Amino acid sequence: MPDYAHGFVISDDRCVACLACMRVCPTCAIRVRRGKAVVLSELCIDCGSCLAACPHGAIVATTGSLEDIASRFAFKVAVPSPVLFGQFPGEIHADHVVQGLLAAGFDAVWDYGIELELGARATVDYLDAWDGPRPVINMMCPVILRLIQVSYPRMTEQLVQLQPPREIAGRTIKKWHADQLSVSPDQVAAIYVTACQARTISIIQPAEGGRSYLDGSVGIPQVYNAVLSAARAAARAEPAAERTGPELVRSAAHLRWATPRVFARRMQGRGYLSVTGLAKVIEVFDDIERGRLKGIDFLEGYACWAGCANGNLTVDNVYVSQGKLQALMARLPETDPLTEAEVERRRPSEDFSLEQPFAPRAAVHAGDLRERVRRVKEAERLAAELPGVDCGLCGAPACAVLARDVAGGAATIEECVFVSDERLRELRRLHGSDAADD
Amino acid sequence: MDEELLARSFVVRGRDFDRAGESSTEIKALLKELEIDPAVIRRAVVIAFEAEMNVVMYADEGTVSFVLTDEDIAIEVADQGPGIPDLDLAMQEGWSTATDEMREMGFGFGMGLPNIRRNADACEITSEVGRGTTIACRIKLDGDA
Repeated sequence: MPDYAHGFVISDDRCVACLACMRVCPTCAIRVRRGKAVVLSELCIDCGSCLAACPHGAIVATTGSLEDIASRFAFKVAVPSPVLFGQFPGEIHADHVVQGLLAAGFDAVWDYGIELELGARATVDYLDAWDGPRPVINMMCPVILRLIQVSYPRMTEQLVQLQPPREIAGRTIKKWHADQLSVSPDQVAAIYVTACQARTISIIQPAEGGRSYLDGSVGIPQVYNAVLSAARAAARAEPAAERTGPELVRSAAHLRWATPRVFARRMQGRGYLSVTGLAKVIEVFDDIERGRLKGIDFLEGYACWAGCANGNLTVDNVYVSQGKLQALMARLPETDPLTEAEVERRRPSEDFSLEQPFAPRAAVHAGDLRERVRRVKEAERLAAELPGVDCGLCGAPACAVLARDVAGGAATIEECVFVSDERLRELRRLHGSDAADD
Repeated sequence: MDEELLARSFVVRGRDFDRAGESSTEIKALLKELEIDPAVIRRAVVIAFEAEMNVVMYADEGTVSFVLTDEDIAIEVADQGPGIPDLDLAMQEGWSTATDEMREMGFGFGMGLPNIRRNADACEITSEVGRGTTIACRIKLDGDA
């Protein structure tokens, strides 16, 4: 089984086995064993629910720092998530943010709106050419992509089987800047400034396998203070500051990628759904699997309920930042001539194809059919013996999950407090109360 | 070998649209648990769901039964409903006797029976007017171990 990278670590020192993370995990990927939470790597989709749920700060996101990345490259180019532009006070415009990024240590900031527009059009073309089952499901949210690979394996074929725009940006940046600077592409770093941990994972380990064109990512909080102070100074200097090039954010279409309805306008006249929040996405995917969702051609889904604007690596209050993004979009034209021209120039030769398609994650050691039937029957028999209250004290999120673990040899039935008094005594010892009772 | 490895059956209540689809959902969960090839699951679930919906729409009550062998999955849906007077006609795509209410709910577009036949490796439909309908399908597991 391949080893899956994840974007967080659980600190055994801080974990008090309170079960909070285990209860919120949407794919039942967490168990609490011997008093510590552990992750079943092949089931984890990097949604970050456990990070948010842990009341003890025991689950910590692992992110690279700009300094780490800087030490490996001569030239660092930022690819800013559109979310970034809505994270600052009202007087700070996109151009000030760009100046802030340069002050924070980047050598250049990429005009990412071009790849986003190219990606949007490639996606619509993909949908037009698709004659398989619908809806076609967008792959922009790495959590949704991984959710499908883990929990809805047969729906992987419905994913938009294309490189996401950030990858195309990474590929283009390395080539373009290397040409400009007459250096090897290896010396140019394309760094995504991300609003969520999941993007980081998608760079470390792309869902389809293979390698990312991006060299790493930094979370918005990591650069926020440096960007903010330089951006403030730039805003104060206005209008004295001279523009050195075209504005980076020129269209509402660019900023719409920070909302969960990126494709709403492009899908007019077709069945279109935007679904946000992991729980709701799961509901809708269940309906798709049952064949209950009819007439939908395209679905974009986001693990976060406000789309990327409330990713776990954002700083500003999500409502405030949504408002700012809307205000910025209202001031901009839907499209702009510079982007249009560049998109038209690149579109005929731009290759969005994946090296290998998104496929289901490999099953956890299957065994032959008869062995699997034995396991399922055994799990059912065991589940009938368990109380069915899903208390979680065994360290599995539900009785049925413990039954499955036991049938698969990963746990014993004596972990249930209803089955074993010893287990209850062990828990008393572990959690301190009534420690010397028996 | 036709040895029965695992069997289940479910009761489906007619006109209970709230609970419609439950037995196909359970079959899907079971097949997933058994790590059956996703393409096979898809076909089995389409068959179970469409047949189940026919029961919900037209009959008072029916049963969905599921049997797994080493080679295939058998799904049989039997109801005590009105029966289908002209099976050939019913098998045509777009032929439907659904009411407006059923259509409003997104069903009854005449794709059910054709869809079932398309997804099955073998399919036998027997019906007697006034008595009921039985749909018996088999889906091969093929490459699956």
